[in-house]
Amino acid sequence: MDNLIQTEGLTKRYNGFQAVRDLSLCVKKGEIYGFIGLNGSGKTTTIRMLLGMVKPTAGTCFISGEKVNLKNYAIWEKVGYMVETPYAYPELTVKENLHAFRRLRLIADPKVVDEVMDRLKLTPYADKKAKNLSLGNAQRLGIAKALLHKPEILILDEPVNGLDPAGIVEIREFLQELACNEGVAIFISSHLLTEIAKIATKVGIIHEGRLVQEVDAIKLHHLLNQRLVLDMREKKAGLEALASAGFAPFLNKAGFIEIYCKEAIHHPDDVARFLVYQGLAPTKLAVEEEDLESYFLRVIGQKGDRLL
Amino acid sequence: MTPILAALQVETLKLRKSKLLWAVLAAFTIAPLMGGFFMFVLKNPEFAKTTGLLGAKAQIAGEATWKAYFSMLAQIIAVGGMLIFGFVASWIFGREYTDRTIKDLLALPYHRGILVIAKFLTVLAATTLLSAYVVAFGIFIGWGIGLAGWSAAVWQKGLFVLSITTLLTISLSTPLAFFASWSRGYLAPLGFMVLMVVFSQIIAAIGYGNYFPWSIPALYSGIAGEEYALKVGNALIVLSTSLAGVVATLVWWLYADQY
Repeated sequence: MDNLIQTEGLTKRYNGFQAVRDLSLCVKKGEIYGFIGLNGSGKTTTIRMLLGMVKPTAGTCFISGEKVNLKNYAIWEKVGYMVETPYAYPELTVKENLHAFRRLRLIADPKVVDEVMDRLKLTPYADKKAKNLSLGNAQRLGIAKALLHKPEILILDEPVNGLDPAGIVEIREFLQELACNEGVAIFISSHLLTEIAKIATKVGIIHEGRLVQEVDAIKLHHLLNQRLVLDMREKKAGLEALASAGFAPFLNKAGFIEIYCKEAIHHPDDVARFLVYQGLAPTKLAVEEEDLESYFLRVIGQKGDRLL
Repeated sequence: MTPILAALQVETLKLRKSKLLWAVLAAFTIAPLMGGFFMFVLKNPEFAKTTGLLGAKAQIAGEATWKAYFSMLAQIIAVGGMLIFGFVASWIFGREYTDRTIKDLLALPYHRGILVIAKFLTVLAATTLLSAYVVAFGIFIGWGIGLAGWSAAVWQKGLFVLSITTLLTISLSTPLAFFASWSRGYLAPLGFMVLMVVFSQIIAAIGYGNYFPWSIPALYSGIAGEEYALKVGNALIVLSTSLAGVVATLVWWLYADQY
């Protein structure tokens, strides 16, 4: 079986609000699918539908080829998940919380708790009550609960929220290891494209409930806009000269000259030579690439094409 | 380990570690102490005269006998239990929503109904143990006071009424589980519980208590001052209300969208 997670025409409407519409995607073994969207774009509703917590108005979800429904509960044996901010039983310690979920997951071997605590660096906090954990450690506990039964499929909603930079790197590397070495299919939602782009093999962008773009992560940088940024002493004359040469320049808010003409971006040396011949030598000349967050905003139509 | 055993173990752990258990235990400890105090006052009329209002209220029980004392304990369970048991049921179901842990229970590799059944069994076990504690503690206090009218027949009858009252009262906690799940917290079930206590008084006062489930345990406990013959119809009213609570909770957990 190829697709471990699959949705077909997934749609959810409630109280007249269209939360998710006609969403189809798939995640294969060893793939990390980054599911990006603004808050309220339909990420969590999609995850809840994937986990059978919310019934779709239309469409179907499949886990390991099996349809997600109430009767098909055996499929959850292969799935580890964390939905929204992780919460645990506040009056129980980290260890007790994990043992409770070990029992609920019907795992007989108590050693798995120590293993997962070690793996997620939770051992020093084993006897700390969940209500006293920092947000970062609560997040680790949430991930630990999802990993207790060594799932083949991992569904994580905003897993790096609240983690410090070192924690983010650690979890990122950990998830990559799970996908690459253990073949776990990971579906991970976030509102941070930059963060997701570092680990995902495929990226899907959801906006207002619709999957507006799906792209292989390695092809992502081909889609980013580029521009040539210039500075010179005689800006007005420079603008006129560049315009007369057909480069369509304009002055940006920062006071630099920008050119989006592909010829100029691919041959900045020609532009430099042209300006020098005109007696307008540039003091700055750089090809800049659109950052991922700007790209994301451009894709969802929140900012203009020229935003970098 | 079977899923139901695993779920029961986890529910027991959560209850054992919670403050709720100790809070309701403390609240329920006060009840037999008060009952015992009333009996003590009745047994010592001179003391009653000096206690003013409390002395006058203690006259409600009538006489300081084991029969009256058992009836008082049954009334404590019927009225106090409705609140305490209701609170236990509301907490066991509602805490998953207020602590936002419900989502961790919804995609486990067995039928979701097992968790609901385990929760109801925990409610049943916890409330039965609480009742047993109240009765045992009450009897201990009764002995301490040295109540009159001790006989095997009085004991048998007293314990029988207490057991039936307890079962009827516990049965009525299931709708609260539904309200806790439906409202995703404690507030709605607690409001419903208070409303039912008020209604049970009003409806019993106008003479229709026989048909109102929340009036029946108190009437059976002898709160109206006379012996109440529990008919099959009355028991069925309570049991069908209880069953409706169980079914509604199951339907909610199984079929409602869980946000």
